Amino acid sequence: MSTVEPGDELPVGAPGPTVLRMMLGNQLHQLREAAGVTAERAGYEIRASRSKISRMENGRVSFKERDVADLLTMYGVTDEQKRAGMLSLARQADTPGWWSSYSDVLDDWLDTYLGLEAAASVIRTFELQFVHGLFQTEAYARAVTMLGHKATPAEEIDRRVSLRLKRQDLLTSPDPPRVWSVIDEAALRRPVGGRSVMRGQLRHLTQVAELPRVTIQVVPFGSGAHAAASSSFSILRFAEPELPDVVYIELLTTALYREKREEVDHYMEVINHLSTQALTPDRTTRFLNEITRET
Amino acid sequence: MATSSAPGPDDPENTAGAGIDTTVPHSARIWNYWLGGKDNYAVDREAGDQYVKVFPGIVDIARAGRAFLARAVRYLTLEAGIRQFLDVGTGLPTVDNTHELAQRADPASRIVYVDNDPLVLAHARALLTSTPEGVTDYVDADMRDPAAVLARAEATLDFGQPIGLMIMGVMGHIPDDDEAQSIVQRLLAGLPSGSYLAMYDGLDSVSEAMTEAQEGYDDTGAMPYKLRYVDQVRRFFDGLEFVEPGLVRCPEWRPDPSQGDAGANAITLAGVARKP
Repeated sequence: MSTVEPGDELPVGAPGPTVLRMMLGNQLHQLREAAGVTAERAGYEIRASRSKISRMENGRVSFKERDVADLLTMYGVTDEQKRAGMLSLARQADTPGWWSSYSDVLDDWLDTYLGLEAAASVIRTFELQFVHGLFQTEAYARAVTMLGHKATPAEEIDRRVSLRLKRQDLLTSPDPPRVWSVIDEAALRRPVGGRSVMRGQLRHLTQVAELPRVTIQVVPFGSGAHAAASSSFSILRFAEPELPDVVYIELLTTALYREKREEVDHYMEVINHLSTQALTPDRTTRFLNEITRET
Repeated sequence: MATSSAPGPDDPENTAGAGIDTTVPHSARIWNYWLGGKDNYAVDREAGDQYVKVFPGIVDIARAGRAFLARAVRYLTLEAGIRQFLDVGTGLPTVDNTHELAQRADPASRIVYVDNDPLVLAHARALLTSTPEGVTDYVDADMRDPAAVLARAEATLDFGQPIGLMIMGVMGHIPDDDEAQSIVQRLLAGLPSGSYLAMYDGLDSVSEAMTEAQEGYDDTGAMPYKLRYVDQVRRFFDGLEFVEPGLVRCPEWRPDPSQGDAGANAITLAGVARKP
């Protein structure tokens, strides 16, 4: 992981602050457990709540260097080299990602997601309603954005669309994540933005599927699918062995993150089931061409 | 639906196959767990932990197996000039899979992965993708039917050129000794002269703890795995010419210091041999 200077903004495709936070949080969690300190007491030490400690340890919030220093002292970490290493990590983890310049249209939950997305080595998604944000054309993205922001000024719509398209640079960055996407046929049949926009979107999907690190599988209507697959969700995996997979579920006004092993297992089971029920990637390409002709 | 050609899930050619049973431990997911992967469920971790409790050396064996695969592919590509691989019993993707190793040596390498497990196949199709110059293909076939494996592989591999046959810790899934021998012999019979077999397998009666752990494992509901004796493993190579150092303990086959001591204590047997 390369070092960054204060004031820098990380380029698209850089690991981004989120994974650094997760690594630091993971280490702090282990140190706290080893020291036998409760989250409440640790929170009290840095004038924060128990849940703040939990968010820190999950890498969901940024770290104040002073808080990290206080926690390390409380956990009995006196080794200067180790302290310096973790404090440096805290500084780096404070470097904003490229998306920080979109803060005017960036909801908090999306801020977290973009950090995770940029840091992931494998992104698995199940899409029930819409084509995934990473695969959307400008026209389709605009149509989807308008659905949720009917009374929003055109300028803000532009910003939101622009943010969504900028995210897609990830797919062509030097070391892109693997994106393995399972799409329900319903998401492809619904002509978001009209037939012409949808045809363009379907053709784009066929092209994206050709990218070496992108896999798309369609679950056709004829498939039994899976009873538990009642909403779209993503599972983000990180190359670091100590970091858990994170499940991301987008809701109307917020998003849910799940990373408890039992819960992640459940979503993993569902997406694995869907992946085996879905058309193979090769067959999906042919199917996409058929749907495009019919749209 | 408007199109008559619309695919149906009942057609095995279209989808990866039947569902996944997560109520019993699953061999590929347990190996994934031992290798430190994240593609495993609670049942697999329980079965894996139980095995480790009785025989901790299994983790070494898992690591040594992957390390041997890496050295064998490097030998076959760089020293034996092999550019085509038939990998029987793919398992769940991990770091340094056969095609990545081979295509690192020559991006135009062609690899056919064979498995009959729907979860493994879905992962392979999505994650074991080729360089633009080379090819990877995924064959849904049971190794008990070598003729079908060879016929399907022919779509991707040129059977006029030597092929590296990789059989890494899977023959124990065939409990009958004669059938197991016959499968390997029939696969080899279909390959041209100058092809290679690279194989490792677990040994019975080397470690009592391992034999005991294996018996416990076989009772979990996971597909049982039969450990074999040295002579039985050697017989898989009948009619072939071993390359140095012959059939040896996995970590002793052309060790590479840059791999660290991954699985240094593994008690599995490994060898690479050429078809004359």
